[in-house]
Formats: sequence, structure tokens, C-alpha cells
Amino acid sequence: MPSPRLFERIDRVELKNLIKRYGDSIAVDDLTLDVTGGELLILIGGSGSGKTTTLRMINRLIEPEAGTVSINGTDIRTVDPVALRRNIGYVIQQIGLFPHMTVRDNIGLIPRLEGWDDAAITTRVEVLLELVDLPPEMFIDRYPRQLSGGQQQRIGLARALAMDPPLLLMDEPFGALDPILRKQLQEEFSKIKEDLGRTIVFVTHDIDEAFRLGDRIAIMHDARIIQVGKPEELILDPASDLVSKLVDADRKFRHIDNLTVRDLMRPVTRRYFFEGGMPIGPALLAMMEDDLGLVIVTDTASGTGILNRRDAFTHRNDPVTVGDVARRPLVFAPGDSATEALRVLKRKKSPFALVMDRETPAGLFFSDEVLMRLI
Amino acid sequence: MLSEILTLWARYDLTARTIEHLTMFAVALTFAFIIGILVGVLLYRHEKYAGPVLNVLNVVETFPDLALLVLLIPLVGIGAAPTIVACVLYSILPIARNAYTGLSHVSREQIDVAEALGLTGNEILLYIRIPLSLPLIAGGVRIAIVFTMGIVTLGGLIGAGGLGAPLQTGIFINIPMLIVTAGIWVGILAVVLDGLAGIAETWLAGRFGEW
Repeated sequence: MPSPRLFERIDRVELKNLIKRYGDSIAVDDLTLDVTGGELLILIGGSGSGKTTTLRMINRLIEPEAGTVSINGTDIRTVDPVALRRNIGYVIQQIGLFPHMTVRDNIGLIPRLEGWDDAAITTRVEVLLELVDLPPEMFIDRYPRQLSGGQQQRIGLARALAMDPPLLLMDEPFGALDPILRKQLQEEFSKIKEDLGRTIVFVTHDIDEAFRLGDRIAIMHDARIIQVGKPEELILDPASDLVSKLVDADRKFRHIDNLTVRDLMRPVTRRYFFEGGMPIGPALLAMMEDDLGLVIVTDTASGTGILNRRDAFTHRNDPVTVGDVARRPLVFAPGDSATEALRVLKRKKSPFALVMDRETPAGLFFSDEVLMRLI
Repeated sequence: MLSEILTLWARYDLTARTIEHLTMFAVALTFAFIIGILVGVLLYRHEKYAGPVLNVLNVVETFPDLALLVLLIPLVGIGAAPTIVACVLYSILPIARNAYTGLSHVSREQIDVAEALGLTGNEILLYIRIPLSLPLIAGGVRIAIVFTMGIVTLGGLIGAGGLGAPLQTGIFINIPMLIVTAGIWVGILAVVLDGLAGIAETWLAGRFGEW
């Protein structure tokens, strides 16, 4: 029995005066919050601050004692919870892939229950695997136990997107991954996010992640929201000491004018270096193995180049080498001023540049990472 | 010695006895499987009855099998019927208990995600809980196989036929070779069936086990 498509797009999700108690303790205390269509709203707070409870009230996994949640003006209590959840994507830290189902069956479970035919499910699964950068022909028949943590999390995201939901709920989706992998997935996710154009409510306890991904951030403490705003509003105008402590507002005074590219670049290790003559297929495999989004290509006809994973992915079945696909990056020297480098990146609309110490690649300079290190 | 065995095999028609034996075994196990799974699912659905019902089945289990067979005679007569009933009564417990345990112990996060994706209660049972319980259910069936083999053999005492019959004959008219032949043959059958069940269990654990 196909569920109705409840909303094509999200204009507004309104949480009004929500209250939820567990025994004597209050989990969510008179919470009011508006989520605007198309934005990524972060709910951040310590454990027990009520952020997950709030999130789970949006798809009726938890029913509030008082207050209402409405999507585009419709009170969600008037909607069948199963239909509601099939219209809302959901990703959690533990991922929860079903161990007895292949990648295809995991992603295609709800389409199957909705009565799609096999060919349509396979097509959909392939599109989603491409979206999360996993070659379908390699992954579609694997079982979850045959996947790394990062790959599992990508499948978890693909599964949440199976029914093309306009609203996505994410509960610390990158929380269980090691720091390098987490950063990598965050970067990729923020790119996917632009393509998706969905409304996302995202729970985290990691302020760096909040700043990296959030359009707006709602800070929760003791079951209440203490401030909602854009990242810069929280830094420049914290509502309380707690907020300024959380966003570490003091650090914003760290003076960028004194810093050089070397101070703010990401140093590179051996695994970032690929030889220009390497065929593209094995290179993509190696990038996936190490979960690298960018690598430095040496010995190309035109000097040192950069290969990004998207390009490698697109050309994975072509008879080309890494050198053919690599792009010429912007190049800075380690001693260049960081402010000047940022200005150049902005003008050239490039998200990153290669840092060369004379003839040797020394690091990668990412504009968003620089900002992250400053705030 | 081989010719002696073959003569005995022909005289006491052990081929027919074996077919009888395995037929009773198959009928009993099929009923036990269906009832056991049903009881397991019902107990999972009505958790509060799980304790008492499993306790009652445990009491049935502690009854000596011979006594149970004899007690069933006034109720269902002699022959195959009481034997099969006894097998089923004994085998419900391991199957029902394992099914119940399997269904109710699927990890919380799997169920949580399934609910969040929009599966109904029945879909969660069918697509998540039952498949993930299969390794444990197979373990229960394996125990039931061993019980059933034993009791079907004992059924020879109350006229059920099967391989218990030549064993009884051998004891009553003192033919040691017949006792040994029928005994070893039942033993081999039990070991083979248990082995097959073991292979199935291992395969299911690899295919449906949580890791």
C-alpha cells in the first residue's frame, strides 16, 4: 500500500511549546522553534540537554505531552505516523543497517514496501550510491559487515534518501567515526547538502561540526533552547556565558593578520601523493580505502596537480590516468600571508589551494578549514 | 557378521521400520515447529504471559518421557498418535523459547531505525525480527530434533512401530545382534540429522546473525 506523498517541499517546520517528561526529569521544557524550508538547522547541546528527544518528536518516534509540531501548517498528530516517517529521512549515529540485508535491500526496503517493482528499486539504489560516492557495481550486493564504518554511514544516508524525503533528521550521524574520517564525511556532506536542497535538522554535540555544516544553530541546555542564530551571531552576540563558552568566542580575537599559510594549512602525508601515470580505477579504490577526498598528483606533464574524488569517480571506467584527470590547482608558498591567500581563494572561487615549499608539495589550504581554525 | 545383519535387516524389515520412524519424526517435528513458532510469536506479542507459559512448558519437559507416553495412552490411545503428541509436547519448549528470545532480543537500534524509516509493527516482525531470530530458532529446532529422535524410538514400547519396535523385539526374545543393529542404526540417523541441522544453523548464523 503506497503511502501518500505528504509534502513536496518544506516551507516551515514549527515546534510550539513542546513539553516532554520522563518520570520526574524533564527532557524538553516548553520548547518553541521554527525551522525554515531549505535550511540546515543544528540542535547542539550536551548529553541530556533534550536535543535528541526534540528531534524524535518531529517524526513522532516520541509524542510530546503538550505542544504541537506542524509541518507546512499541518499538525503532525493528524497524520499517520508510518506515512509521516516515510516522508522524512532519518539517520543516526549507530547507523542501524540491517545485517541480514544487502546494501540494495537496505536502501530499497521502504521502496519495496511501497510496492515499487524490482527494476525501479535497483535504479533508485544505483542513483543513491552514486550520490554518496560508492560505485554501485562494487557495493550493491555487499552485506553491512563487508563495509567500513565510513561506508556504512554513507549507506545509512543513502537509505534515508530512498523515498526522496524533503525533510531529513540526522542524529549525530558522524559521531562514531574517527576524527579524520568524520571531517572527510562532513566536507562531502556539506557538498551533497547543496545538491539536495532539503530541509535538515541535525543533532550534534560537536561545535566544530555545527559551525561547519549549520545554516543556523540552536543551542540547547537543560531541556531548553538558550539561543538560536547564525554561527556568526552566536560568536559576536552570545546570549549568555554558556553560549560564549560553547562557541569559544574569545578565540575569535586570535589575529589572522599575523598568520601565514603554513600556520593554517593541512600538512600532507605520503598517502596523499599519487603518481601521474597511475590508472584511474586503482587510484579511486585507494582513495576510497583511505577515505581521501583530494590527493596530490606528481609527475604530470604540467607539474603538480590535484585529483578530487568526484572527478576520479566520474572517470572511473575511462581508460585514463590520474595525470589526465588531475586539475591545476592554485598554489601558495608557506610564507604567504593567510589573509591574502584567503582573498585570492575567494576571488578565484576556489575552495582550496596547494601549498608548495619550492618544488615539494607541503600541504593543502582549505578556505573553510582556515575559518574553522580561527573561530 | 554382515550377512547376519542383512538377514536380521530383512527378517525384521528394518527398511520399512526406518521409513515409519522417519515419518513419525517428520510429522512430529513439523507440528512442533509450527506450534513452537506460533507460541514464540504469541509470547513475544504478549510479553506478560511469557514467564508463566515457559514455566509450564518447562514442567512438561521435566516429566520423564516414558511416563508421559504412558499417561497419554488413555487420552489418545496407543501407537503412533501418543508418540507424536509426546514428541511435540517436548519439542515446543526449545523452539518456542528460542523463538521468543530471538524475537525479543533483536537490538534496540535496529528496531528504532526500522520504526523511524516507517515500518509498521507487522513489517518489523516480518522483515527484521523473524530473519534476525532465525539462527536462534535453528538452535531450538536442533535440540528438538534430538528429543524427537529419542522419543520416537521409545514409541516402540507402546506399539508405535518405527525402529523402537525391533529394539523391543530384540530385548524380549534376546537377539543381541538385532539390538545392536537397530541401536546403532538409530544412533547414526540421529547423528546425521543433528549434523545437518548443525550445518543449517551455522549457515543461518552467518547469513542472519548480528555481528
